[in-house]
Amino acid sequence: MENQSKTPVSADMIKRYTRIRKARLAVDFVLKLGMIFVFLFPFYWMIASAFKTTYELNQYPPTMWPHRFTLDGFRSVFSYFNLWPYIRNTIVISLSVLVLQMMTMIPAAYAFAKMKFRGKALLFTLVLVAQMVPTQLTFIPIYIMFSKAKMIKTLWPQILPFGASAYGVFLLRQSFMQVSDELIESAQLDNASLWQIMYRVMLPMAKATLVTVLLLCFINHWNGYFWPLVMCNTEDVKPISLVIARLKQVEEGVDWAAVMAGNLILTLPTAAMFLLFSKKIIRSLAYKGMK
Amino acid sequence: MAEIRFDKICKSFGNVKVIENLDLTIQDGSFTVLVGASGCGKTTLLRIIAGIGPQSCGRLFIGGTDVTALPAGKRNIALVFQNYAIYPTMSTRGNIDFGLKNNKVPRAERDRLVSQVAETVGLTPYLDRKPNELSGGQRQRIALARALVKTPDVFLLDEPLSNLDAKLRVSMRSELIELHHKLKTTFVYVTHDQSEAMAMADTIILMDKGRIMQMAPPEVIYLEPENAFTAQFIGTPPMNILKLGGDGRSFGFRPEKGILSHERREGCAYCVPGRISTREMMGSETIYKVAVNSGVGDTGSVMIKSQDYGFRIDDRIWITVEDEFLYFFDRDGIRLRPGDRREKAALFAQVEKEAAHG
Amino acid sequence: MADRFFRRRELTIEEQQIRSANPRKEWGAVLKPYFLLVPTFCFLIIFTYYPLARLVWLSFRKYNLLSQDQFIGLQNYRQLFFINKDFGPSVKNTFVYTAASVTLLIVLAVLFGLWMQGERKINSLAKRVIFFPHIVAGVSISMIFAWLMNSRNGLFNQLLMAWGLSPLEWLDSSDTALGSIVGINVWKGVGYDTLIVLAALGGISSEINEAAALDNTPSHRRLFCITLPMISPQIFFLLVTITISSFKVFDLVRLLTNGGPGSSTYVMVLYIYRYAFEWNRQIGYACAAGVVLLLILLVLTVIYFKLVERKVHYQ
Repeated sequence: MENQSKTPVSADMIKRYTRIRKARLAVDFVLKLGMIFVFLFPFYWMIASAFKTTYELNQYPPTMWPHRFTLDGFRSVFSYFNLWPYIRNTIVISLSVLVLQMMTMIPAAYAFAKMKFRGKALLFTLVLVAQMVPTQLTFIPIYIMFSKAKMIKTLWPQILPFGASAYGVFLLRQSFMQVSDELIESAQLDNASLWQIMYRVMLPMAKATLVTVLLLCFINHWNGYFWPLVMCNTEDVKPISLVIARLKQVEEGVDWAAVMAGNLILTLPTAAMFLLFSKKIIRSLAYKGMK
Repeated sequence: MAEIRFDKICKSFGNVKVIENLDLTIQDGSFTVLVGASGCGKTTLLRIIAGIGPQSCGRLFIGGTDVTALPAGKRNIALVFQNYAIYPTMSTRGNIDFGLKNNKVPRAERDRLVSQVAETVGLTPYLDRKPNELSGGQRQRIALARALVKTPDVFLLDEPLSNLDAKLRVSMRSELIELHHKLKTTFVYVTHDQSEAMAMADTIILMDKGRIMQMAPPEVIYLEPENAFTAQFIGTPPMNILKLGGDGRSFGFRPEKGILSHERREGCAYCVPGRISTREMMGSETIYKVAVNSGVGDTGSVMIKSQDYGFRIDDRIWITVEDEFLYFFDRDGIRLRPGDRREKAALFAQVEKEAAHG
Repeated sequence: MADRFFRRRELTIEEQQIRSANPRKEWGAVLKPYFLLVPTFCFLIIFTYYPLARLVWLSFRKYNLLSQDQFIGLQNYRQLFFINKDFGPSVKNTFVYTAASVTLLIVLAVLFGLWMQGERKINSLAKRVIFFPHIVAGVSISMIFAWLMNSRNGLFNQLLMAWGLSPLEWLDSSDTALGSIVGINVWKGVGYDTLIVLAALGGISSEINEAAALDNTPSHRRLFCITLPMISPQIFFLLVTITISSFKVFDLVRLLTNGGPGSSTYVMVLYIYRYAFEWNRQIGYACAAGVVLLLILLVLTVIYFKLVERKVHYQ
């Protein structure tokens, strides 16, 4: 053709092209660092503030890192409240919910994933609908229910309503569905009972999902605010989040060092879990959106 | 003119070098088939041509133009993907139309081209359907139509038939051959199936571990393999390769060149006794697996393709191969072509010795 | 012990297998799946479906948890819409908050998702970091921002002053309070939504993008004709879930502004909560407000599924 002889791309051009590419990647990198800064800085500020003196907190211009490192904030948190009983409440609540959810979710997920029965589609839709119903709507009738049953001063109102997890059923069903029917059939041929199939064949295959579901359940209960606020009438059933929330309201003139210290304590367990399991959590959450 | 020329091309993925220093020219207007086992680099080569997996170094020329830094969309190349990669959100028409629209072809012209191409591949009734309503064969045709409509200089096809069932595959095969005949543009076709390569190609490029083992027309590659690898890759069943002496050299013969007989035949260098261990009656011919105990490599047996279906399992027979049908390979598997008579005689003497061994 | 238990089960399974091969099915085998669903549905019925029905029922009554309990027809609704002047603003605020959150979250999630595609170390780090606020307690997020946005000596205003700009009142002014809360909500939630978008983008096979490259597709057309249509199911999912979660906003508002200043951040759930638990326990009235919220959610969901889902491409 006409351009038999011409070579439009010189080595120079290639060099320039790669240079532009490199510059682009560098800019991209810097912008992403900026974004990371935006999302991490508030947490950094919480940590820095937790260790500052009240004087330094109100100083202008602000100091980026405490000049005088102090634990006063933490001391005042514990002087306002003894946190341990509240932490214990949270742990008791989340563990009980975990156990309950395991008991309800595994058989249901198995039935939805691997069994044929009349009305399955309808029942599954009902589960999905339940997932969409906000607790912000059902809290009044549930409160009345527990107060009528004289259980409002116990931990039950914070446990029982979460006994079934529609989200857990949904997620676990997905991973059960990935176990091949042949595997179940061969287990049946080996004379395994339904329970054996569920707990020996299915659950090991869905271990990762189960761990994430339980992890998220724990995080949710650790972080919960609305539900305990509504359900807790007495001090001795309150979870930690509720008490930390009250730090801002303890007296006139908020003690920001104490508030930040308290929230640092509240954030630490979830942060630790995130550092340990972020991959798992991210993967299963992303999966939820894939339908 | 759309000859494709690789000039010292190399490609690495991370630290793994897949292709090193490759020079290759694909003739304009040829139907060239890149064939090899999976991981041999054939698809990598195709993606280098397409510009979607550019080479790490070296230059690529299409029709004499250096396209090394030209983006895929500007190379005037069409690629039919193994899984078709049709846009699931668009109708058949949208899929075929899309490339034209991107190249700012006027509306009327586009409509004309689309209906013309749809007619060619038989998609006219399905133009307004979504791909998920169509069968595998029809999706394959969309992929083909999408490639055709661009009237590209080069057609690249990446195992386009592997997702079709056997019957459809054979008919699409001949359709593609006809299409090439009609268009007379360069086709580069990737497959792992040597029989597909033999059936379709006018040039076969056989690859192994990123290197070209042989590049030749089908009959040449079949009759005159340059190395043991080629001899054993091409043909069903492939060439029997047997050890020759203890120095790593070998010799071989095509299954259909082995003559079976109940009696020993004289006058050939290779004549060995054996026992038939399996028998596959294919219709026009019968494939026997014969256990022999001389000169054989790992399997202890050779395959024989014969017109005679009369032999039975466990029959004790003799295999004879005429001298002219024996191939010799050196210790690196490179074909030995004995020049003078003396060299030849030495090789045949060796074969005779090997045969007598058993 | 366990052995005997399993042996017994073995027999029943065997029988069940024999019988399931038989056209006359045994009741036990037929009922088994339902039996497995009983625990889950017990909880769902007691703590989701029944309370929902009860909510509607209570909305027609005057009830204060103690003596007072009588049917009053639509009185609660009349009071809600025509007598009390505080419900309207709370609905309006909730809508504004939802519209702003939905728009910002979806647009940002798609932009971030497109931006953070590809296997790079910085991408996987950025992904994790922006996701992190999602799993931190709303309590902590609220307090951190309350401190940052503190109009007297919060960092934001100190920075504004340092740059010679006039400080803002953030949460303390009715002009900026709702916007600030939306901002905090977006900051907290965008990481999760981005993950969903990224997962969807990862689901597009690389061949599709390569085919687009071979078709010489300009990047804006690739975005609007290929990428966005292909992730439309996930965008639809985000639309529905973000809408619902924005309508039930409570924690941030309650902790940051408690509805103020004035009624500038007064939202529906806070409204329900106050009438039910803080002001004279007007349970029936609060339930009526709850029913309105429920109806809004229902109508929006129906609209989404009827109107928007048509544009969604499912594979």
